[in-house]
Amino acid sequence: MITLESARASKGRFTLDGISLHLASGQYGVVIGPAGSGKTTLLELIAGLVPLRGGRLLLEGVEAQHRPVEARQVGLVYQHAYLFPHLSVRENIAYAGAAADLQQELIARFALSPLLGRAVESLSGGERQLVALVRTLARRPRMLLLDEPFSALDPGRRTRVRREVRALHREWGLSTLQVTHDFTEAGLLGDVAMLLDAGRLLQSGPPTELFRRPANAFVAEFLGAENVFAGTAKALGDGTFEFVTGGLTLHAVGEFANGPAHAVLRAEEITLARDQGHDSARNRFSGRIVDIEPHGAVARVTVDVRGVAIVAALTARSAQDLALAPGLAVVLSFKAMAVHLC
Amino acid sequence: MNRIGIATVVAGLLGSLLLLFLAAPIVQLVGSSGADGLQRLGSDLALRDALLLTAATATAATLLGVLGGTPIAYLLARREFPGRAVISALLDLPLLIPHPVAGMALLLLLGRDSAVGSAALDLGLRIVGTPLGIVAAMLFVSAPLFVSGAREAFARVDARYEGVARTLGDPPWRAFRRVTLPLAGRGLVASAVVMWARAVSEFGAVVILTYNPKTVSVLSYDRFTGFGLSEALPVAAALVLLALVPLVLLRALRAGEPRT
Repeated sequence: MITLESARASKGRFTLDGISLHLASGQYGVVIGPAGSGKTTLLELIAGLVPLRGGRLLLEGVEAQHRPVEARQVGLVYQHAYLFPHLSVRENIAYAGAAADLQQELIARFALSPLLGRAVESLSGGERQLVALVRTLARRPRMLLLDEPFSALDPGRRTRVRREVRALHREWGLSTLQVTHDFTEAGLLGDVAMLLDAGRLLQSGPPTELFRRPANAFVAEFLGAENVFAGTAKALGDGTFEFVTGGLTLHAVGEFANGPAHAVLRAEEITLARDQGHDSARNRFSGRIVDIEPHGAVARVTVDVRGVAIVAALTARSAQDLALAPGLAVVLSFKAMAVHLC
Repeated sequence: MNRIGIATVVAGLLGSLLLLFLAAPIVQLVGSSGADGLQRLGSDLALRDALLLTAATATAATLLGVLGGTPIAYLLARREFPGRAVISALLDLPLLIPHPVAGMALLLLLGRDSAVGSAALDLGLRIVGTPLGIVAAMLFVSAPLFVSGAREAFARVDARYEGVARTLGDPPWRAFRRVTLPLAGRGLVASAVVMWARAVSEFGAVVILTYNPKTVSVLSYDRFTGFGLSEALPVAAALVLLALVPLVLLRALRAGEPRT
């Protein structure tokens, strides 16, 4: 269990401030945020490598700010691995003096046997990350901190390693906090997601909640929302809102105050048609296709609606069936519930 | 020839001239008197004693420098603390002042009329005019070279290696011993070698603190003023050959330095 209450820490000129988070025992948390937002510093703060300057840090429910690093039972794996270059791969794995059978089990689980005789300098980035992961796990930590530990692995191996780490996390009841840039990974692994920016925690919650209901426009854009509009919200009194942006009026549902706001609309929530139909969608607009961007099986279609660009996502097959092309007039529709105001 | 071509030729010429200027006197000295110097080691007792004294006092000064300099270098490389800049400047000072001036300053501090000197005398230790004086002079002028080199060697080792060792269960001292020290080791040894070589060749401060017994540098000066260049040259050549030993060691160490 990892708890931070209004935590503050500095590293050089960078400051983490007002960080409050709670990761229950056995939970898997993911930390996301732009480069330089303080993700690694947050892990180092929990590990004790960066001192707490204010607030509280509790590990397994016990105040930990004065506990030495080596007594925290926290394992930390950096993105750059930091394997000890003067030791062999085997010596790195054995560094913490773990029992030989545990070392063997981990070596087998992560298929490291072929690397044992190799010099650290000869390992690829991905291999180094794997050895660093096993070296940390060999100490049987209670809490595991991972700083982009799979970033240098090839896609196939990354999937297998991710699955293995998740399995160990469950078997050992680890509390795991992982930094990642990969939103898919965040969604796949995390029970809790936390978004950091400029040393502050902007939002935390289940990953789907962050994706569906971002706290503000920055979070929405960082998480890849294609349609984020600035405008004004006005309550209609029945739990719905009118949101005016440019020449468009969108309908939204939720609890919100009247006034300036942002509307977030995920591209996959939008339906495209060649002509007006009849369905329950509260938002229906005619527009003209500006651009079609194929992404494998998916196509992102940008439509100009009264001077506002709206991006819709549909399968490439649908785009083909509808014979979509730039300049074509289309109708977009989406439910009021698909519009998130923040 | 284009501009870049001319610039390359001029730079090459200037570099070669400097190299020639630095190497020629040493090569000529060793070439003309090196063999004679080595031969005299068998017959010239004063030279042999001076060489042994120089090597022993330089080694003692280096050991003291390493013992005291390593913690300072580590702190300067790893920690931010008030007065860090002042300590750094103080450590550079002995490199900037003329060495006879350093000798006079040491004489003031350690002479028999000084507080430290008289306290040492009370304990039965005479510093000025003894090998202890030579060690003090060598330590003063050459320890800053060790601290500076050791500080760089520690700074080259990413502090995160130590951090990882701590998360793997090592207390600070053990992390230092198992990780930092081996990774900075070659740099530390290289810095100690530089310190030793500098100590061996020290003259200005040594001659003021301890004229007798004579180190090789003092003996060579003594022979030069007493008997002329021909008698001083073999001694000087022997000193150069002694200084070459650590130089070769240093190059060998740097060639095998690991990247961290």
